Amino acid sequence: MGFAGSGVEIASVAGDVPVPATPPITPKLPPREWLKENLFSNKFNTALTIASAAVLLAIARGLLAFIFHPERQWHATATNLRLSMTQAYPADQYTRVWVSVAVIMTLVGLSMAVWRAGQAVALDALGRKLLSYGAILALLVLLAPFSSRATLIGLAAAAAFLAVGEVLRRRDDDDRTISSLTLLVASLGALVGSLWVIPYGHHSFIIDRTPRVLAEPGTVAMTTKLPWTVMLLVGIAAYFIGRALRDRLPVNAFRTTILLVWFLAPTTLLYLVLRDPSFDMGHVISTDVPIWAVFTVAGTGLLLWLTRPTTGEIGRIVAALVLVAALASFLTPMRMIIRLLLLLLGLFSLAAPTFAGDVSARRRYSGGWVGVISVLCWTVTAINTPSTIEVPGDFFIGGLSLTLMVAIFTIVVSFPLGLLLALARTSKMPIFRLLATWFIEFVRGIPLITILIFFSVMVPLFLPNGMHLSEVSAVVVGYALFSSAYLAENVRGGLQSVTRGQHEAAEAVGMTTGQKTVFIVLPQALRVSIPPLVGHCIGVFKETSLLAIIGLFDVLYIARNVVPNQTEFLGSTRENLLFVVVIYWVFAYQMSKASQRLERRSGLGER
Amino acid sequence: MTDATTSGPARDLSGARDMIVCQDVSKWYGDFQALDKVSSTIKEQEVVVVLGPSGSGKSTWIRCINRLEQHQEGRIVVDDVELTNDLRNIEKVRSEVGMVFQQFNLFPHLTVRDNVTLAPIWVRKKPRAEAEELANALLERVGIPEQADKYPGQLSGGQQQRVAIARALAMEPRIMLFDEPTSALDPEMIKEVLDVMKGLARSGMTMMVVTHEMGFAKEVADRVIFMEGGQIVEQGTPEHFFENPTEDRTKLFLSQIL
Repeated sequence: MGFAGSGVEIASVAGDVPVPATPPITPKLPPREWLKENLFSNKFNTALTIASAAVLLAIARGLLAFIFHPERQWHATATNLRLSMTQAYPADQYTRVWVSVAVIMTLVGLSMAVWRAGQAVALDALGRKLLSYGAILALLVLLAPFSSRATLIGLAAAAAFLAVGEVLRRRDDDDRTISSLTLLVASLGALVGSLWVIPYGHHSFIIDRTPRVLAEPGTVAMTTKLPWTVMLLVGIAAYFIGRALRDRLPVNAFRTTILLVWFLAPTTLLYLVLRDPSFDMGHVISTDVPIWAVFTVAGTGLLLWLTRPTTGEIGRIVAALVLVAALASFLTPMRMIIRLLLLLLGLFSLAAPTFAGDVSARRRYSGGWVGVISVLCWTVTAINTPSTIEVPGDFFIGGLSLTLMVAIFTIVVSFPLGLLLALARTSKMPIFRLLATWFIEFVRGIPLITILIFFSVMVPLFLPNGMHLSEVSAVVVGYALFSSAYLAENVRGGLQSVTRGQHEAAEAVGMTTGQKTVFIVLPQALRVSIPPLVGHCIGVFKETSLLAIIGLFDVLYIARNVVPNQTEFLGSTRENLLFVVVIYWVFAYQMSKASQRLERRSGLGER
Repeated sequence: MTDATTSGPARDLSGARDMIVCQDVSKWYGDFQALDKVSSTIKEQEVVVVLGPSGSGKSTWIRCINRLEQHQEGRIVVDDVELTNDLRNIEKVRSEVGMVFQQFNLFPHLTVRDNVTLAPIWVRKKPRAEAEELANALLERVGIPEQADKYPGQLSGGQQQRVAIARALAMEPRIMLFDEPTSALDPEMIKEVLDVMKGLARSGMTMMVVTHEMGFAKEVADRVIFMEGGQIVEQGTPEHFFENPTEDRTKLFLSQIL
């Protein structure tokens, strides 16, 4: 009330004396007036509000009645949680899973510190949020068919939310803020803490001489609550370490290192941590490391020379020679990795004059080369290391882990492919344009499921002797090709949104086509493409559910075909599917939020 | 020495070298002939203002000189380099010819400083520190040193156009082309851009300016060229051109805009 009054005061002052400096303050309405203003402003709106509220209430009631119906077999989901997450991954090797999660938590914590994630949240804004959470919670508790005791507990929790929210909301003259990271840690902490306190029940399969289902009251198993607590602490610790390092290390080098580790992480975790590799150290030291070292040293030297502005025409001849050597290597018996490295070196040499410049530019270009070949050599070494994990079936891990792996590898592989396809399709060279267009239109004309079936069944049969590709790898290759065609079209949309004037301005200062593309066109095109690209990533993640159709044990297949067929949980399909819905939604929603943050961050120069 | 350009009779540039030579340059857009045998020679340090009604081909002509448009007949020689399909010649000419556009065309994702230093670093291969020093000096020269860390979208139109001039100058060009540099500006911002251009003219830069600013033409130009229908109709010193034009079409044009 007092606030609305002060708003009027400011207006009248501004009327008498011209004080243009302060923008008019929009008073934040108290809840009752907010409702009146937004939901019940006139008769028609009141009718609409009541009608939509009735529909929403009916849906919520139906859903809650379904969830809390006494016949629901939620313990089927709880008992099979490990199956849904990692399928047949052996329990005695489970430390490997937790180490992988810990590595990712460390990277997340470090990245959040180094990229300065989080923002300040005003206390009264937080209060408003808590108020709405409390109201929703109270409503849900009242709608749910709870026992009177459960209803009371739920209402008490809602009342606590409302009380804290109201206290905070009233402090709108208080300028203090709270970091959104603190709120994140507090909510995650509450979640993890509840594992220790709230009796969710202890469910699992006892694999003994006579396998049986364990269902005890009490809190969840120690093998669940302890690791998750540790994971949260690891993440927090990594954040603080990152914060301490961020002020001591050169920030760009630190960021580059973390990015490189992010790129190395998927293959490392999959092949070297989770698979319990029989690492052949002798082979690695005698072959892999020397190859990498030779190409690192020789390649860096060559590129440092080629990027000298004074090198001139002779550089092009050398680059052409390297390319010829690379092509010749495909005709002679040789390790595939050497051929690939030669080919890459040829391409890097060819592009060198474009990125020639002063010492720091030359070092960055050579550094890029070292980074790319490191990731490549590491990946090949990791893939070639055989696994010792013994599990039934084609792939050693399933469930949500498989879903995430397929999604991540598909996105990582299809991103550069899609970028190249988009550039080729908009290029001036007819041959590139034609090939890219054909590929894109061909792939877009085929249903994804056809591609997945083709790659899972046919491609392993067509491979040359001695080359083995697991079904999952083949499927990822097919899925990545499919995804890259769509990704290329999204990027092409961004490329076309870059105005002719931008091209002309870049050309007018004498940039080559490569420089124009890298420095002017791509940065602007990718920024425009962020929303469709993230939409595409969400699509890739969700459509991994098609793996269930070709018989891979992803999280959906387990929920639909495995759990409901266990003798103890016959007919528990609906519960499991609802659980899978929640999992998919949580991940997709987080990606969508990340996209919004990314857009906000990169929109800096637009205004 | 250069102050002589500001007033009085035109400088005698007959002894200067030829910077831009156009011989019978013709260009068609489909069936429409945009340039019809345009011939002219622009001397070193000369400031040429090109006038004409819209659609007369003046922008097309100026854009042919750094090959943003391709002429189909005739010859264009810029600083002794002929513009052909040879990419190396085109890049050479472009790195010596600065261009300022009607719509500024600054790079919106880069700061003002990066806009100015990008081409010197990657095209001229200048060390970054040197390029930034040059950028600071140029931003000082166009009067906006304090805006270096802002993004183009945060500047006014006049400031943006001055950044665009600094960006072109950072390549240390021998010729500057201006394609209606003030047409997209609010009236109160035109003067700040014209002042920068006048300073540039006084410093001895060879300039070709397509504009509707008659005051600028009268004050700074060594020569005024009037185009219509893709042809050069009349050319001469500003005194001759504005005081006693010979062609009827020129008289009509002047009567409409003055």
